Amino acid sequence: MNAYKFLRADGTGVFTRFAWPLPDAGPGDWVATEPHPCRSGIHACRLGDLPYWAGRVLYEIELEGEVVEHKTKVVASRGRLLRRVDTWDDALRATYTRYCADRAHEMARESGLERWEEVIEPSIPEGPALLGFVAARIAEEAGGPQAYHAERARQTDWLADRLGLA
Amino acid sequence: MAEHEHISCQEVVELVSDYLDQTLPADEATLFEQHINFCDGCDWYLDQMRTTVATVGRVTEEEVPEETRDKLLTAFREWKRS
Repeated sequence: MNAYKFLRADGTGVFTRFAWPLPDAGPGDWVATEPHPCRSGIHACRLGDLPYWAGRVLYEIELEGEVVEHKTKVVASRGRLLRRVDTWDDALRATYTRYCADRAHEMARESGLERWEEVIEPSIPEGPALLGFVAARIAEEAGGPQAYHAERARQTDWLADRLGLA
Repeated sequence: MAEHEHISCQEVVELVSDYLDQTLPADEATLFEQHINFCDGCDWYLDQMRTTVATVGRVTEEEVPEETRDKLLTAFREWKRS
């Protein structure tokens, strides 16, 4: 299956600091390990997982072998980076972060959750993953767990549309 | 696990050893990493802990002066009581 993977700007894993073989003219080299969520394995995002992990640079990754589906990620025994998703750049990161902040303000105002207002703008420097979380939490506080899911789905739709991902 | 569950910076400090030892349950480790992903301060803290573990891990018990060892043991005993 194909999925997505966020890396640091230098091409290393966000948590492991593993230096990924990056795609150049073709896909990067295969990387293999035992699949175990949060311990080992090739961790990647399905489309709907992107808002939870929004990071610096984004790649499309091909996964093979045993693939374990987790709540907000997939973990596989083999993977290789196919291409960088160039549409996810600093400008779009900032635009998406602003989008989540605006949604958060909107929902906080509509639901009388003014105390959240103090949190939103100061959180912006921390980037899109935090603002996506803040927006979803406000949605949940206003409308329950279904609203949380709905907000995450809305974020996914926004990203899929702007990134040109199916 | 409710969707809104998350961990705080304080909990990151409490859980960092278990995370590095890979003994956190998968769901908890996911929340830990989601926090690290959006908190530069905790990301930096995790890096420092990794560096500390890598550095201290090279020191053998024999290399630790007796006085230092006693102070460390006392500190750990006090910490357990607090």
